[in-house]
Amino acid sequence: MFTYILRRILSSIPVLFGILAVTFILARAIPGDPCRAMLGEKATQAVCDQFIHRHGLDKPILTQFGIYVTEIARGDFGESLRFGKPVTTLMSERLPTTLELTFAAMGFSIFVGIPLGIISAVRQNSLIDIGTMVVANIGISMPVFWLGLMLAYVFALLLRGTPLQLPPSGRLSPGLSPDPFYVVWGLNVTSQGLLSVLNFISRLNMLNAILIGRLDIFWDAFKHIILPAVAVGTIPLALIARMTRSSMLDVLGTDYMRTARAKGLPRLRQVMKHALRNALLPLVTIIGLSLGSFLGGAVLTETIFNLSGVGRILYDAITARDYIIVQSFTVVIAIFFVVLNLIVDISYLYLDPRVRLD
Amino acid sequence: MSDVTKSKTTGQVRILDAEKLSTEKPVTLWGTARRRLFRRKSAILGIVILGILVIIAIFAPWLAPYDPQEVLIGIEKVRVRQAPCIHLLGCPADQPQHIMGTDGNVRDEFSRMLFGARLSLIIGFTTVTFAIIIGTVLGALAGYLGGWVDNVIMRFMDVLLAFPSLLLAIAIVTILGPGLINALLAIGIVSIPAYARVTRSAVLTTREMEFVEASRSLGGSTLYILFGRILPNSMTPLIVQGTLGIATAILDAAALSFLGLGAQPPTPEWGSMLSAERNQVFTAPYLVFYPGLAIMLVVLSFNLLGDGLRDALDPRLAMRTK
Amino acid sequence: MKHNKLYILVAVIVMSSMILAACATQATPTVVVTEAPATSAPVATTPPTAVPPTKVPTEVPTAAPTFEGFSLSATDCSYGGEFSSIEAVDELTVKFTLCYPDPAFLSKIAFSAFAIHSSDQIVATGGGGTELLENPIGTGPYMLSEWKRGDEIVFTQNPNYRGEAAKTPTLVFRWSSEAAQRLLELQSGTVDGIDNVGPADFDTVKNDPNLQLLNREALTTFYIGMNNTFKPFDDEKVRQAIAMGIDRQRIVDNFYPAGSSVAEYFTPCTLPNGCVGDPWYKFDVVAAKALLAEAGFPNGFDTTITYRDVVRGYLPQPGVVAQDIQAQLKANLNITAEIVVMESAAYLDATSAGTVGGLHLLGWGADFPDIVNFLDYHFGAGSSKQFGTHWTDITDALSAGAQLADNAARKPFYVTANNAIRQHVPMIPVAHGGSGVAYKAAVEGGQASPLGNEDFSVMSISGQDTFVWMQNAEPISLYCADETDGETLRACEQINESLYKYQLGGVAAEPNLATACTPNTDLTEYTCTLGTGIKFSDGSTLDANDVTMSLIAQWDASSPYHVARTATFEYFNALWGAFLNAPPPAP
Repeated sequence: MFTYILRRILSSIPVLFGILAVTFILARAIPGDPCRAMLGEKATQAVCDQFIHRHGLDKPILTQFGIYVTEIARGDFGESLRFGKPVTTLMSERLPTTLELTFAAMGFSIFVGIPLGIISAVRQNSLIDIGTMVVANIGISMPVFWLGLMLAYVFALLLRGTPLQLPPSGRLSPGLSPDPFYVVWGLNVTSQGLLSVLNFISRLNMLNAILIGRLDIFWDAFKHIILPAVAVGTIPLALIARMTRSSMLDVLGTDYMRTARAKGLPRLRQVMKHALRNALLPLVTIIGLSLGSFLGGAVLTETIFNLSGVGRILYDAITARDYIIVQSFTVVIAIFFVVLNLIVDISYLYLDPRVRLD
Repeated sequence: MSDVTKSKTTGQVRILDAEKLSTEKPVTLWGTARRRLFRRKSAILGIVILGILVIIAIFAPWLAPYDPQEVLIGIEKVRVRQAPCIHLLGCPADQPQHIMGTDGNVRDEFSRMLFGARLSLIIGFTTVTFAIIIGTVLGALAGYLGGWVDNVIMRFMDVLLAFPSLLLAIAIVTILGPGLINALLAIGIVSIPAYARVTRSAVLTTREMEFVEASRSLGGSTLYILFGRILPNSMTPLIVQGTLGIATAILDAAALSFLGLGAQPPTPEWGSMLSAERNQVFTAPYLVFYPGLAIMLVVLSFNLLGDGLRDALDPRLAMRTK
Repeated sequence: MKHNKLYILVAVIVMSSMILAACATQATPTVVVTEAPATSAPVATTPPTAVPPTKVPTEVPTAAPTFEGFSLSATDCSYGGEFSSIEAVDELTVKFTLCYPDPAFLSKIAFSAFAIHSSDQIVATGGGGTELLENPIGTGPYMLSEWKRGDEIVFTQNPNYRGEAAKTPTLVFRWSSEAAQRLLELQSGTVDGIDNVGPADFDTVKNDPNLQLLNREALTTFYIGMNNTFKPFDDEKVRQAIAMGIDRQRIVDNFYPAGSSVAEYFTPCTLPNGCVGDPWYKFDVVAAKALLAEAGFPNGFDTTITYRDVVRGYLPQPGVVAQDIQAQLKANLNITAEIVVMESAAYLDATSAGTVGGLHLLGWGADFPDIVNFLDYHFGAGSSKQFGTHWTDITDALSAGAQLADNAARKPFYVTANNAIRQHVPMIPVAHGGSGVAYKAAVEGGQASPLGNEDFSVMSISGQDTFVWMQNAEPISLYCADETDGETLRACEQINESLYKYQLGGVAAEPNLATACTPNTDLTEYTCTLGTGIKFSDGSTLDANDVTMSLIAQWDASSPYHVARTATFEYFNALWGAFLNAPPPAP
């Protein structure tokens, strides 16, 4: 078992390497003067000299790559000239927004998708089944940005004045400025590192609201995230529902299920105890695969709903030709991906006994 | 004439009537697949929608009442973003008919939608063709040759897959510069790993089969075996993946155009039409509704068709009828 | 399989060597999430009175033994700018000596780019860095409470404000680039006032009893700029042909809200001498084509149209207008233009650096109501490289006109200038864009300033202690010395004030931080007396050093505080002519 984990981790390393190589090549492929391209038009000669020296742009390409890799290993992603801030600061400011959106979307797609899939499988070919599959097919075909706009139209305009109205943008209603939880708790934090971690957590509005006991803020943040989460989570929801249904159908037709039925177990118990665990296995893969669409969807949804998350700043950086941000954010996201897939793979150890014996 | 059959008891050989032998239609893979495909209602729906779209795409210049890029200021008495006017549904006859209204630059939205169909289908097919060709070659090489070639190629595919596809496409387009061709190239590159993997696993399974051994012992060269024998038998998963891939490609292209990185104005591409009018979702929702609906229908049709093909061509699923 | 293991082994070796290398080099904290380090600019080690050797330091002995005035003088006026010296005479007196008479001095000094900052903060932050750019200390009715980057800026009342406290204790700035979204939020009640009502929404707001619409006078100009250092725009005939080949009336009729008009001159006609000289070319396709053929392009050519996708009063629908111009160029002149969209800040930087070729779409909103703000800023001697090489006939006429006080006496110079602009066509003026500001009907004191500098301290809604304003875009920073974007200036103005300020809804400048700035007879010296007991939000008292340091940091290019965000200080350059000790231009 330990060797399995070790093997999986080690085989991720060449992939990480490849990611760094790809982003390095992408960055060097930008036409024009590398300093001005990376830092912008206003970069003075002094700043450019420093930049060239620091990144070794006057040295052979392999040395440059080596310098690049060591910087990443150190966590030094450079500084955006446009914002005048290190990239890591920008990232820690914006990542909580995207994380909250991603988790909300994931929650939506899992907690609605799985039950839908189960019901469809158990009541195969009934109206619910057909209805769910139709909706699922439409769901994976819909452009995220269109869905977001239509949702905004319906819930922010058509339902305006009704209790179903939902805000079309932002994370919190204006003027609501919740204190970070560690301030409310009276914690005296001196260490810079710990402070930044706590700040990061406090920017997750819903979590922070719970920690400081303000349910009204929690509710407000929740209302703001519903529309974006539904928009982002619809495609994964469809995928999960379909996957759950088909794997449930597979399981329901097996011998051991027939045994359970023959034993006279109540239907629900059959489903929950026997079928579910086995059916859920491929789901972990699906969730891992869906993360790609969460992030891609985040870029589009954050633009529509005016959320300042990682996706949005990436998009702004692209139009602004702020390559430092584009490069570093892409690397971070890709690394994040690899790590997540690694976790998914390792989690199979606990979920699928067949893997353990491998 | 006379039949030829061997009598069980006497051992006499009788000659069978040739016509009698061929009364039954031969069972072929494609025939079975086609029948199974048409049995699924959803696949039929997908084919129908696709058929309509192809007709629209081909006949767009004749079906469109206006030139999609023609600005109508001064030519007609229409305003910017005018609401749809359909004479059949009660719009007064003295107003020019615009089934879907006019867009922000006073161009006929309906004509732009029709030409957009053309563009979307072209986008889908070119990206997938590009990706299939390159992906198949890479996957076949990896599967057949094995060893370090396999390792290197598959690791590279893993790296490509490590990035969320939209983000990688965005990054590539940033380097190349915005534009439809560059966007297609980016989406094509991002799609390659899926086909490489499919081809590789198909090649791995067929590689050990007997007919390949037979070819090899008959003296066939590697290339001939690869492209003449193995690949044709790996077509099935490729077709399925390709059909579904067209759907993803169209969605990604629309997303890139929505972000301003794909089709450039004044090209009538559905994603960029949606993006241009997204501000007006509350004042002119028809300009946002129709392009998005169109994208959804195209993608849906390919998805339904791909699902149908997958079920029809997969011998394993044939056993699990109903 | 054996290849696999070898592979992994190599990878492990490489990774471990990298990690070793990383740890061996200067160990910065390995926590991935780091706060921004304290500003990288060096904290000033020179005491405030130190000046570069080429200047004559003026230390004037004062009555209070502890006051050391921070001043600066130029050796002579050959450096090309307007200031000769900025001097802190005593604690409450500042004297400006000019190289040439300037009747518009008071209007210029009232501008928000020249707002007064705390000298202590400038010194402590080294003239730049996050603390100064995002949390400046000011004397205004509001101070910064929090800036949630990307989301909102929260201001609170300045407890040390010398005047009547702001009517609403908390002010929140939010932004959205979509007019539809802004209107929706106003209608839903989540915001109290919005900027730039969409052209299609004017009627909606007017007919809604819960909202009020305030028209903003069209003191803006939208133009199509051309840089004469890029071919084929170096040929005047090409520029003139394009000027004749675009139907500007059609653009205004179709894409602009009510209250807008076609621009016949660069400056709106409400400003004195704005519309003197010959009006712009008439739309004439035949003549345009002939001229273009004469220039050597009978079949047109390929070019680009660059713009930024933001909504401004002068251009509420940039994308649509760009496409229309593209269509017109193709139809009328057979010029194929590719549309390029740039991000807002990058676009402003690029245009002022003069690196944008082809046609570029930009506009201008009045900062203060004088023609100098329009013409000199763009075409004067101190203007940027946006249109390429300056024309001496334009710059000479503008310099001459700027030095006179009487509008009738200035007129002939502006006739010359406008005619020269018409002839050289650095840009094509298209529209004066009217715009609208909408508030909830319950808002009292709502404003729609033609200069875009709404004062929120006088606005209130009964029963609410927070006022939420939604504008087009996020401010870039709060240190307006180095900013030009209207959305940014509006935010700074709530925190920092200038010596003078513009009358509400009027044209003249009136005293603000200074009780008076008296000129000498030939308008070459202005002596300003500061109000007593004016406090910054941190409790420190305003004195002459705050004034001189705020301005000298901009004026003296060799000052260690000449940093800000990008060290451009565009307004200073444009309005006062030049920097002192400016580095020689790059080869």
